[in-house]
Amino acid sequence: MWKNTFFLFFILSACAEELCKPDASNGYKVRLSLKTALGDDAYTWNKNEMFLFQSTLAFAMRTSHTGQSYEISNIVVCNETDRVSFWFVVTSPGNPTELVENYIVEEAIRKSRHRINSAFLLTDKTLEFVGILPTLATPVSYDTPPWLIVFGVLMGIIVAGIIVLLASSIVKRKRKTRRTDEEEADEETRVKTMDNGVYNMSFSVEDKLTQM
Amino acid sequence: MEKDSRPKWDNPTQFLLACVSYAIGLGNVWRFPYLCQMHGGGGFLIPYLLMLFLEGLPLFCLELGIGQKMRQGSVGTFSSINPYLGGVGLASVMTSLYLCLYYNIINAWSFWYLFNSFQSVLPWAECPINTNRTGPVEECERSSPTQYFFFRETLDISSSIEVNGGVHTGQALCLLLAWVITYLFVVKGVKSTGKVVYFTATFPYFVLVIYLIRGVTLHGAANGIKYMFTPKLEQLANPTTWINAATQIFFSLGLGFGSLIAFASYNEYNNNFERQAIAVSLINSGTSIFASIVTFAIYGFKRCVCVTRLLLLNTFDIAEDNITLDTALDWVRELNMTYPEKFAEIADQLQTCDLEKELDTAVEGTGLAFIVYSEAITNMPLSQLWSVLYFFMLLMLGMGSMLGNITGVITPLRDFKFFSKMSNELLNGIVCLFCFLLGLGFSTPSGNYWFTMFNDYGASFSLLFIVFFESIAIVYIYGMKRFEKDMEDMVGHRPNWYWKIMWKVVSPLLLLVVITFYIVGYIQGGTPTYHAWKKELGKTVVTEYPIFGQAFIGLLLASSISCLPIMALYPFLTPVADRYRI
Repeated sequence: MWKNTFFLFFILSACAEELCKPDASNGYKVRLSLKTALGDDAYTWNKNEMFLFQSTLAFAMRTSHTGQSYEISNIVVCNETDRVSFWFVVTSPGNPTELVENYIVEEAIRKSRHRINSAFLLTDKTLEFVGILPTLATPVSYDTPPWLIVFGVLMGIIVAGIIVLLASSIVKRKRKTRRTDEEEADEETRVKTMDNGVYNMSFSVEDKLTQM
Repeated sequence: MEKDSRPKWDNPTQFLLACVSYAIGLGNVWRFPYLCQMHGGGGFLIPYLLMLFLEGLPLFCLELGIGQKMRQGSVGTFSSINPYLGGVGLASVMTSLYLCLYYNIINAWSFWYLFNSFQSVLPWAECPINTNRTGPVEECERSSPTQYFFFRETLDISSSIEVNGGVHTGQALCLLLAWVITYLFVVKGVKSTGKVVYFTATFPYFVLVIYLIRGVTLHGAANGIKYMFTPKLEQLANPTTWINAATQIFFSLGLGFGSLIAFASYNEYNNNFERQAIAVSLINSGTSIFASIVTFAIYGFKRCVCVTRLLLLNTFDIAEDNITLDTALDWVRELNMTYPEKFAEIADQLQTCDLEKELDTAVEGTGLAFIVYSEAITNMPLSQLWSVLYFFMLLMLGMGSMLGNITGVITPLRDFKFFSKMSNELLNGIVCLFCFLLGLGFSTPSGNYWFTMFNDYGASFSLLFIVFFESIAIVYIYGMKRFEKDMEDMVGHRPNWYWKIMWKVVSPLLLLVVITFYIVGYIQGGTPTYHAWKKELGKTVVTEYPIFGQAFIGLLLASSISCLPIMALYPFLTPVADRYRI
């Protein structure tokens, strides 16, 4: 009996390994960019990290595919590279030789994407599931686009400046015409004193004559 | 006498800064680096500097001198030299008017980008998401976020010059703002312009220095600068290099628009324009070279190399720290040899990171300044700050040039009795309003194609023509002897042999050579073409102008050039004394 269970276990793991291969129909490639995301604080990828990955994914499957209790052994990983990339497939808890359809896996990952990212301190860009696009954030929509606000402020200032300039030049011009009017009035009186070469003393101003 | 009441600059520095502000524009920042790189890097400096001394400097001095002597706008100046030559001045005014119409749209774009920089994520850093929220907008994916932002969100460009639509509100508002500010700067003539140029002439240098410091600390800066300055002397054998050097100097100094004559006409009679001409020309060329150092330090190969590195890492599953930005291109070669089949699969995605090719794709038109630079900015930390600084600098450069152009239109207009009766504020306002209303046409979906047409044909060939006739008029019709005596009167000494040889022989001859090349180029070039943006492909495609487009090009060229012969007939129709205020 021991031999049989051992043999069965061997067969199962061998099958599992065969199920997981690059470009598997229901498998996904995962790519981690630890150095890009964390720089000097990047941790080394090792078996323990892989264990965390398998458990996080099992958690995601459980949350999404209610009713099924996925175990770590249901997440089969293969083809690890130095890049830190690998392939994985998910086997069904009821039947370990059967692969779970990729759309179910995809949905599970989408739903728990944020939790998976957080477990590894990574983001959607640095923890890539090739083929699964991250659920895109709602584009921020403004009531007034921000550029319009800056535009309004600047336009207001400039228009105010122009009005001030125009007003000051109009005021200056009015003042000048008033002054020239007064000067002209003075000139007229001067001219009038010399009308026809005859000095009309009643209009003249003493000092003006003496200056001449 | 009314001539004595002609407004003046407050001091010679204002005049100098006004010329600097006018001459130094967007071309110094984006066109010169491009030319430098296309024609052999450091080697291009040889024809460039040679042309500066043979053509740029003499003609610049000539325009300043005649303007200061005649104390009138371009129309009045040339009519005073000889009544038959009024056409030269009028052609200048027409060309200036065309430039005023389309140039301010560039300032409108600068405003648009500037205002859009006040967001947490620069809108041209990432592709916007499509309506289904499944992924980025297709057009953006096919091209790039910066190109998408420029062609779609800024211009809302149509697929060809024939397809039109309504005015883009954002653009129209920015254009309105640009014109309102222009009006503010010129409302009181040189009194207001003189104060503004203190800022518009000096601020761009401040930004360029900051960018230089930022640029040399960026990764790959040394590569970029080395790539640009490595002289490829074999390019000097190509005649196009020399022609491009001549035209670049010529257009960069802003000759032929009548703006320099207008600025100089507000000078004191004894202003030393010779020294100022030398100063401005040297400052202009120096700024071009400085700006290209900054450009290449910043742009470098960074983004391209980043993308290449990522592609290699992901295809060959190599550990991240094995390929760095420096070694990426070496790895390309190595992997090509070791895994040729796998490499072939990604070969078409791999960019050659050839700066020439990068610039080539967006080289037509001023879009280069907006697409290429905004991309470099998104790669910098604190990109909002850099973006604001950069577009504000572009604004200062553009506004400074705009001041010169609008003065080049208004000053000659004031020479006419009809307009001289109007107040400064009213005439300036009418001109600005007129240019704004017509300029709205450039903010329509096909507007950018019309803009390119105006840019290529409205103020290029005609200027060469105008300046050629200007120099002939001043040197031969007005007379070299009379001009020498005027210069002695104004400055205190006669021009030395360098000026005389250049004015009499070299510069007019050079102009003639360039004009011939242009004419030959137009004839051999066949149907004029433009770059139309195709949204399905996500890039521009060379398209021929339709018949009405070609007719319009002919009209643009003919309208300014024909002023010369037409105005030559004018003296036969009206007596001299009536035409201009004396």
